[in-house]
Amino acid sequence: MSDPLLSVEDLTVTYRAAGKSVPAVRGVTFGLSVGETLGLAGESGCGKSSLANAVLRLLPLGAKTGGKVMLEGEDVLAMKPGRLRAVRWTEAAIVFQGALHALNPVQRVGDQIAEPMLLHDGALTDRAAAAAVKGLLSHVGLPERFARSYPHQLSGGQRQRVLIAMALACDPALLIADEPTTALDLMVQAQVLALLERLRTERGLAMIFITHDLSVLTHTTKRLAVMYAGRIVEEGPSDQLFTAPFHPYSAALTAAFPSIGDPGSRMHPSGLAGDPPDPTDLPSGCPFRVRCPVVEDRCAEIDIRLVAAGEDRSAACVLVGT
Amino acid sequence: MTSITSQRRRKAVRLAVRQFRSSRAGMVGLVILSVFVVIAVAAPLISSRDGLDVIAARAAGNPSWAPPSEFPLLGTDHLRRSVASQFVWGSRVSLFVGLAATVLTMVIGTVIGLTAGFLGGKLEAILMRLTEWFLVIPFLPLAIVLAAILGRSLWNIILVIAVTSWPATARLLRAQVLSVKNRLFVDRARALGSTPGQIVRRHILPNVSGLILANTTLTVPVAILTETTLAFLGLGDPRAASWGKTLEEAFVNGAITRNAWWYYLPAGLGIVAVVLAFSLIGRTLEEIANPRLRSR
Amino acid sequence: MSSLVEVAGVSVRFGAARAVDGVDLTVETGEVLALVGESGSGKTTLIRTILGLQYPTAGSVSFQGKPVPNHGPAARSYRRDVQMVFQDPTGALNPRQTIYEAVAEGHRIHHGHEGEKEKVAEALASAGLRPPERFFPLYPHEVSGGQRQRAVIAGAMILHPKLLLADEPVASLDASIRGEILALLRRLVDQTGLTVLVVTHDLGLAWNIADRVAVMYLGRVVEVGPTDQILAEPRHPYTRALLSVVPEVHHLEPQILIGEIPDPTRIPTGCRFHPRCPVVAGGEADRLGILEMCKSVDPQFLEGVACHASPPHAGGGGT
Repeated sequence: MSDPLLSVEDLTVTYRAAGKSVPAVRGVTFGLSVGETLGLAGESGCGKSSLANAVLRLLPLGAKTGGKVMLEGEDVLAMKPGRLRAVRWTEAAIVFQGALHALNPVQRVGDQIAEPMLLHDGALTDRAAAAAVKGLLSHVGLPERFARSYPHQLSGGQRQRVLIAMALACDPALLIADEPTTALDLMVQAQVLALLERLRTERGLAMIFITHDLSVLTHTTKRLAVMYAGRIVEEGPSDQLFTAPFHPYSAALTAAFPSIGDPGSRMHPSGLAGDPPDPTDLPSGCPFRVRCPVVEDRCAEIDIRLVAAGEDRSAACVLVGT
Repeated sequence: MTSITSQRRRKAVRLAVRQFRSSRAGMVGLVILSVFVVIAVAAPLISSRDGLDVIAARAAGNPSWAPPSEFPLLGTDHLRRSVASQFVWGSRVSLFVGLAATVLTMVIGTVIGLTAGFLGGKLEAILMRLTEWFLVIPFLPLAIVLAAILGRSLWNIILVIAVTSWPATARLLRAQVLSVKNRLFVDRARALGSTPGQIVRRHILPNVSGLILANTTLTVPVAILTETTLAFLGLGDPRAASWGKTLEEAFVNGAITRNAWWYYLPAGLGIVAVVLAFSLIGRTLEEIANPRLRSR
Repeated sequence: MSSLVEVAGVSVRFGAARAVDGVDLTVETGEVLALVGESGSGKTTLIRTILGLQYPTAGSVSFQGKPVPNHGPAARSYRRDVQMVFQDPTGALNPRQTIYEAVAEGHRIHHGHEGEKEKVAEALASAGLRPPERFFPLYPHEVSGGQRQRAVIAGAMILHPKLLLADEPVASLDASIRGEILALLRRLVDQTGLTVLVVTHDLGLAWNIADRVAVMYLGRVVEVGPTDQILAEPRHPYTRALLSVVPEVHHLEPQILIGEIPDPTRIPTGCRFHPRCPVVAGGEADRLGILEMCKSVDPQFLEGVACHASPPHAGGGGT
């Protein structure tokens, strides 16, 4: 087995807001090899975006981190600023959600794509950068003339493609896609997913795909991790996890997006009572127990961590692995 | 309003008061302002009106141009009047004109801004052109012309200030009303069947009231400074002993060449202090109304 | 029995943009109709027209056989019959109103203050916010997204409307809460005889709660029918392509369309879908001999579908 490209070890991320400590990520461990894809699913407040930002140390001032993020053998959290700047975008890059405010509204799209290239390669001429930008645009399926456009002149799907082109500008080995298809129409979403898949196979990219829509992940990623209240609560191969989840939360999440044609969900919407957890006010024991349909008394006492649940699968639930 | 809501409102007011108290800038401003308000209100008690009377001053045998070391508290002017009396009574005039002019400005500006923003269409276009017209007129020539036509009285000064200040408020308010009008909850109110009056009352006004309050508090210093300027230029009410009038008389009668600092410094510092106080309070109110303005 | 709502030949133009371009649609009493389409399809404009917030440039909307009034006391009583739930529950609530006031507003407008407290409690409880008194003094930012949407639903239901229009009611909510809100809507329909017209881009939502589905493309309804039928065997190529790319659909080969929905100011001639239509691109239209028709003739809406290649249209093998 090849050396892992990315190895996250017991990562914690804590913010300070209004005098309170907010534990966004509470001990996450996983690994990713070259060319591998991992899906990270969860809802608002589960910590998935904090996790993504932690990999490149893009957290806001005042956020405290713990644990290690080993990117190609080096700990990102312990890097000196100079080394960190060199590593950012060249080894790993993030594709943000393509909302209008992800791009600078007063700068042309081509300049924004060229920016990381010029930052990292001092010897690159403007002409060479412009040519590279044109290449990237056509690579993501956009006409070359878009280099001279402003973000507001593009549609949501086109902006998302621009963000993907920008992420590929320095040829990284790892691409982190943070909710890249949320807020996009169904057909545009399919186009963007197909594009990501094509780029992945062409360039041998490793990918972390973050979303709240589990159904999208089954076809695009090989492995899947479900997050809840700052921890991974289940992990395993995507297709297996989706069809036969072990953790009750994963089961609820998969049921939330029905299979069209499945009589079980016809006229039978399925959801969870309660609301996503408040990171500042987590219950004792398993944080999911207040919404869990199969909760038991012992769940209030045991702060369960991931437990092996079969070949290559694990889940953080007392009902598993026995 | 139901009791539940009035309970929440009281809680919100208490919270706002607490936030204000925790802001050092705001409290400093409030203290300074309170001092001057007390001086202005208690003027008849602390200083006799006779202090301003030239004839009485002569009769009392006051020296002229006497520094504070000779004549407490603040010396005398060229006509033997007590500068301290002028300071105390001047605070009344300056604060009164400032507040009255501000109220008039806010009323005109709010009504026009609200109407233009909410009703839109041709009316908005007409009102906005009117606003721009007034905005563009140079302040000083207008003030001089109005003073000449209307005569130099305190109420005319208030009118002049209001006429030149309302456009800024109107534009600000119209912009805010437009942004609130386009929010989804206004659509929802229309979907529920609200009349335009109900929408303005329940949805538009509560969401612009914070802006109105902050803008009012920041307009007062502008009005005071404007009155000071007009008085200094000799356009003020000749019978009103405002701080601006004091500065004008000091300047005109050569207090600077005589180095009679006790004549012009108190009034000048008084204006600075009051303007500063209102600005600090206004800024703190803005921060409370709009939490995004608070620095972390 | 006549339909609850009849939309006949409605067009809505904004300058040169034809947001809604000739729509015929009926909504039957007691059903849930899903209006499916991507952005730019005109679906939001259409329901705002049914609600009366938007005036049609052409055509008419009737409610219970009578035209939808747009002013006067008739318009106010129409508001009691037709209500709306919005996509963004946070934006739909005035941040300066308590939940109590937000829900009571509709009642106050039409019935004054009498019996207000009981009505508000009843509406909140039926929307799943229990105990209702706990939510009276809270402001929108003090409750969760799902609870805000329930409050908006309560605010609409307090008037006991006959028709509820829902614009993407769960799009901005977390996945695990989706089901609860959808179940609430379905329960209201089953228990109170409410009719719901829900606008969504999510076909899974239609599968979850809709009796019938209407698919819109660029201002037109291109296909209508029972959910089971449309989602199992779509007839219009757009519906088919849309369904095929839903991640959880396995019975159709994925057809990713090229490009995006055109601007409503530049609607293609002939069938508005023909530049992206897989039937045209794959040559089948040519083989059926309808290619010229697809490019020049706007297909009529016949038997629930507007496509030249589908029966009973010319190319579909029928007459």
